Amino acid sequence: MSEAMAAAAGWRDYLELTKPRVVLLMLLCAMVGMFLAVPGMVPLDILLFGLVGIALVAGSAAVVNHIADAEIDARMARTQTRPVATGRIGFRQGLVFSALLGITGMVILYFLVNPLTAWLNLASWVGYGLIYTLFLKRATPQNIVIGGLFGAAPPLFGWAAVSNSIEPGALLLVLIIFAWTPPHFWALALDRKEEYASVDVPMLPVTHGEAYTRLHIFFYTLILLAVSLLPFAIRMSGWLYLAGALALGGGFIYWAIVLLRNRNPRGPIETFRYSILYLILLFAILLVDHYWVSAPASAMLELQRI
Amino acid sequence: MAKRNSARQSLTRLVLFAIGFGFVVVALGAFTRLVDAGLGCPDWPGCYGFITVPLSDAHVETAEKRFPGTPVEAHKAWWEMIHRYFAGGLGLLILTIAAAALLARRKAAINSGSLEAGQGPNLPVGLPLALLVLVICQAAFGAWTVTLKLWPQIVTAHLLGGFTTLGLLWLLALRLDVGRSWRVPRALLPHALVGLILVALQIALGGWVSSNYAALACHDFPTCHGAWWPAMNMREAFNFAQTIGPNYLGGELESDARVAIHHAHRLGALTVLLVVGSLAWRLFGHRSPLALPLAMVLVVQLTLGILNVVLVLPLGVATLHNVVGAVLLLTIIAVNYRAFRAGRIE
Repeated sequence: MSEAMAAAAGWRDYLELTKPRVVLLMLLCAMVGMFLAVPGMVPLDILLFGLVGIALVAGSAAVVNHIADAEIDARMARTQTRPVATGRIGFRQGLVFSALLGITGMVILYFLVNPLTAWLNLASWVGYGLIYTLFLKRATPQNIVIGGLFGAAPPLFGWAAVSNSIEPGALLLVLIIFAWTPPHFWALALDRKEEYASVDVPMLPVTHGEAYTRLHIFFYTLILLAVSLLPFAIRMSGWLYLAGALALGGGFIYWAIVLLRNRNPRGPIETFRYSILYLILLFAILLVDHYWVSAPASAMLELQRI
Repeated sequence: MAKRNSARQSLTRLVLFAIGFGFVVVALGAFTRLVDAGLGCPDWPGCYGFITVPLSDAHVETAEKRFPGTPVEAHKAWWEMIHRYFAGGLGLLILTIAAAALLARRKAAINSGSLEAGQGPNLPVGLPLALLVLVICQAAFGAWTVTLKLWPQIVTAHLLGGFTTLGLLWLLALRLDVGRSWRVPRALLPHALVGLILVALQIALGGWVSSNYAALACHDFPTCHGAWWPAMNMREAFNFAQTIGPNYLGGELESDARVAIHHAHRLGALTVLLVVGSLAWRLFGHRSPLALPLAMVLVVQLTLGILNVVLVLPLGVATLHNVVGAVLLLTIIAVNYRAFRAGRIE
């Protein structure tokens, strides 16, 4: 049966399996990691092969996620039309597709970028596909806090692709996404609470109630604001970034307070949307600041020393 | 009814916690072996006759008077003792599980006399008691590991005992309905059984590699010393009558015997890859939720094994190879159990 239906699967289905929007957001973060690793321009081959490799491995992990969650997805309105959940793409086709993407990505990263970036990607693939998707997600309401670490890694990949080492600055960017993930995801979970409850996935609003989740989102936005100031604190970024981080963080806290007051039924989904915008803009500002404020300033310092 | 359910639930939680704890014990055991700390304390159950590692000058002096041949190396002694403390904790946990299972069974028997005769499957009791016996044996093997100076037979048996403890705890969890929804068609049972036997053999072989210090006998991959079929001494490699007495720290075998053990583990890995890989492929065809875990754990374990050779046995990778081996065992046990249960009640 699944074979017959698979014939109807088109390239759009395969594209959907790779979660292109999530991967694009990850690529943005990876790219910013690359640019922050150097004062000038990133070598073009590293930029190209690095992003392609990271995208392929991330896409491969997303396919694994679709297979692992096929049963849950089929019972949730938001996800029930996903290609594997409906059977348009069988488990085996999904597996082969995932393996092709993953192996191609690993080969590109290993041979055309550097082995360190390849190993970091593999570790994150295992962490997301095996530890988060198959275990944490079903085991504990802290699933996305711990699992968020793997989703937070792209800046580290980008940075390592350029520097071939693990730098503190890269880890700082990871820390920002790590602190951003829980409020981002819990806002969505608040909006989809009933669906998660019906499929026995222990998301925080299901296990500990909505009020508790709203409070946690609020606290995490405070943590996020504090963490987002660290790049300025260690002088990795300049005043432009500081101003941007404060304004964007203020916006996130505003939405967290809207959630706390709980008068706006669209609050959760609006917060979720804002959180995506927040991350895109924060990393964009990191980039702009790097080339307009921080890098020129440090170049001036170098000149003065000479 | 509600009461019995809650007894079942709390027992399940206890068992799952014990499994997590058991993984820590296995990881600590592997780590202790890998940092050559297995003889960190020359006696058992104490360490140089003390309950903790002797640290003060007076204690160290007493210790070295008691065991003149083995000077105190505190960092090694600590790993050995931490492994023992955790293993002791696991023993107490299993004792609690056995006691709780017995109590719950008695309560259920009393209740069933009145109202709920024959309702629901009974809580298992035999398995917890078997676990209790096993964990006591493990303590003995732990002691012999030390007193027989890492005699490879005992070291391997101690490893297998640890894995069996985890496996039986996991079987207990499965019987308590963990993973009810993991469909596996009964038709796959023979294939799954062969897979289980091969994985168990490969784990034993892996223990033999470690206890004979053969992990670095081949330093290249996929060839060994540049050859696809290296010169090997199979008879010496699998001579299970090695004399007791010498200190086996670092290994006693000639290099061609170690190559034989190492190569056998590689061939074993290839066999496991083919059999368990095809099992996973068939599970994918049936859209079983266990397909993905099995395939991924298999791939991760193979990668770690290859990395052990290529990266010259880094501590983290070697310890993980041990831990993921246990995960692979538990995964294939789950496949077997669900295939066995399929088509029966429910």
